[in-house]
Amino acid sequence: MQIAVSGGKGGTGKSTVAVNLAIALREYFDLALADLDVEAPNDHILLRVELQNEEPVHMFMPRFDYSKCTKCRKCAEVCEENAIITMKDGTPFLMPTLCSGCRACEIVCPVTGAILEGEKLMGHTYLTETPYGFPLVTGKLLEGEERAMPIVTAAKRRAKTLNKELLLVDTAAGTSNTVSKALEDSKLLIAVTEPTPLGLHDLTLILELAKLMGIEAWVVVNRADIGEKQRVKEIVERYNAEIVGEIPYSEAIIRSYVKGEPIVLTDSKEAGIFRNLAKKIANYLG
Amino acid sequence: MQVAIASGKGGVGKSSVAASLIYLLKDEYSLIAVDADADAPNLDLLFGVEMWEEEKELIGAKVARINTKTCIKCGICAERCPYDCIKLTNGNYVVNELTCEGCGVCRLVCPVEGVITLEEVRSGIIRKTTTKYGFPLISAQLDVGRPNSGKLVTEEKEWAKRIMKEKGIEHMIIDSAAGIGCQVIASLGGADVAILVAEPTPASLSDVKRVYKVVQHFREPAYLIINKADLNPGFKGLYEFAEAENIPIIGEIPYDRAIPRSMTMLKPVVEAFPDSKASKALKEIAEIIKGEILR
Ligand code: SF4
Ligand code: SF4
Ligand code: SF4
Ligand code: SF4
Repeated sequence: MQIAVSGGKGGTGKSTVAVNLAIALREYFDLALADLDVEAPNDHILLRVELQNEEPVHMFMPRFDYSKCTKCRKCAEVCEENAIITMKDGTPFLMPTLCSGCRACEIVCPVTGAILEGEKLMGHTYLTETPYGFPLVTGKLLEGEERAMPIVTAAKRRAKTLNKELLLVDTAAGTSNTVSKALEDSKLLIAVTEPTPLGLHDLTLILELAKLMGIEAWVVVNRADIGEKQRVKEIVERYNAEIVGEIPYSEAIIRSYVKGEPIVLTDSKEAGIFRNLAKKIANYLG
Repeated sequence: MQVAIASGKGGVGKSSVAASLIYLLKDEYSLIAVDADADAPNLDLLFGVEMWEEEKELIGAKVARINTKTCIKCGICAERCPYDCIKLTNGNYVVNELTCEGCGVCRLVCPVEGVITLEEVRSGIIRKTTTKYGFPLISAQLDVGRPNSGKLVTEEKEWAKRIMKEKGIEHMIIDSAAGIGCQVIASLGGADVAILVAEPTPASLSDVKRVYKVVQHFREPAYLIINKADLNPGFKGLYEFAEAENIPIIGEIPYDRAIPRSMTMLKPVVEAFPDSKASKALKEIAEIIKGEILR
C-alpha cells in the first residue's frame, strides 16, 4: 500500500509533514519512507541520518560503431529528443545532454552492433536505516543532469522491493510528470498547503492532478493562522477533498526543523496534530 | 545583463527576495522580469497581476495512445517502456498520460502497425503582461502532469529578449525554479550573474551547494544572500561554504513576519512594509547590486 505527501511550492512544510507523519505512522504500520524530491532531497537531513547504501542510476546512451554504421539516419529520425544530429553524409553524432536514454535509436537501428551500449550516470538512490525503526529510500539527481524521471523511477522501484506494509512517498513540489510518477499507485494523497494566495494556487493544481489520477486527497493546512482559510475551504470543497489537519504558525516547529529534531517526538501540542493525523490515516487504510 | 536568482529549493524566500529586489531596481534601470518557475509561478501574484496582455500556448509535449480495438495485448510495450508508464488496466494496456515522456519506444516495439500513436499535446502556456509598476513580466505555467521542460524556460527567455530589443530594455531578472533540473539549467544558462538565496539550515545549505555546482558549470559569478539570517545563530555552514568558494555574501535578511504578511497582501515586502527589518536589509542589498553587479 502506498500513500503520498505532496504540496505546492517548497517551503510549505511538505518534508516536515512527511517525516513527522512517518514517525507517527510507525505505530500502526511496518513502513518505509521514500524521498522522491530528487532535485532537493531533504528528508535525511530532517531525520539527521547520513545517506547510505548508495546505488548508481545509470541511463542508456547510444555509442556508435562507425565501422558498422551505414549512415541510414534512422536513429536520428526516430529520436524524439533530437539528441542525434547527422552530418551531411549521414554520420550520426550524439548530443549527450539531450538524450533521455529511451533506447528508441537502438531499437530502430537496422545494423546489429552499429549502436553500442553506452551509459551515463544520472544520480543515485540510497537506502538508509533511520533511528526511528523505518528505512528511508532517497533518490538524488546528479548536479547538472536535467532528467529527474529516471531517478524517480529507480528510487520508486527500490522502495517497492522492500515490500513494506506501507510506503510513504514524499514527492517534489509542483505537478509535473515526475510528481505524477511519484504519486502513481497511491491510495491517498496528503496535500500540504498554506492559506496564502500562492499556496491556494498550488493547492488547486495538486488537487487537479489527484483528481486526474483518481487519488483520494486530504489537505493539511500549514501556518493555518496567517491567511485566508475560507479560500482553502472553498477549493477543498470544489475538489471534494477534506481538510484533515491544521498546523498553526509555530516557533516550536521552526526550532525543531533547524535543530533536526522531529517535532512529533516532543511533547508540544504540535506533536499531537501529527499523531491524530496518523491515527486518521490508519483508520482510513484499515 | 541577465541576472538569475536561484536557491536550489523552494521555501527559502527566493521569490519574495526577487520580487523586492526587482521593485527596488525598477526605477533606476530598465528591466524585464522572467518567472522561470513554470511549475509554480508566483511573481505575477506578488506583483498583483490581474490580466495578461498576450498568451502563447506551448505545444510540444507528446504522449502515446494505444488503440484498444486493434491491440493484441501482447504486453511488449509495457515491458519496454523505460518509465513504467503502461499498465494493464481492466484487461487493456493503457498509457498513463500523466507520466509518459513521449519517447516513442512503445510505438517502435509494438508488433502491430498503427496501434500506438504519439500525439502532440499542450505542455503549458507562456504569458506576458506589463505590471502596474511599469516593467514587463514574462511568466509560464506548466499544465498538470506534463514533462517539466527546460524548453518552456528557453521560450520565455527568447520572448524576453525580443521585448528587450524592441523596447531597449537593458536587464533581464530571472526568478529561477526550485531544484536543479532542466528549468534551472535553462534559467542559469546564458545568465551573466547568479544570485543565490539560502537560509541557515542544513537542508538549504545542501541545496544551495548543489545549485552552485550548476552555476560553476556555466562559469558565472555568484553572490549569496542569506535569508532568515537570525533563525539559527549557531549555524555557520553558509559562511564556511561562501568563504571556501569565494562567493561574496551581499546581504543578510533577518527573519521578519512582515514577509509572510506582505505575501498575503500580494505585494513585495519593501512596498508593503518599507520600514520593516527585512525591507531595510533588502534595500542595502539593492544598493550593492546597483554598485557592483548592474553598474
Ligand atoms: S536513447 Fe532515445 S533520446 Fe537518446 S539518442 Fe537514442 S532515441 Fe534519442
Ligand atoms: S540507425 Fe544505425 S546504421 Fe543507421 S545511422 Fe543510426 S547508427 Fe548508423
Ligand atoms: S512514449 Fe515512451 S514513456 Fe510514453 S508510454 Fe511509450 S515508451 Fe513509455
Ligand atoms: S505492444 Fe502493441 S499490441 Fe502489444 S500490448 Fe502493447 S499496444 Fe498492444
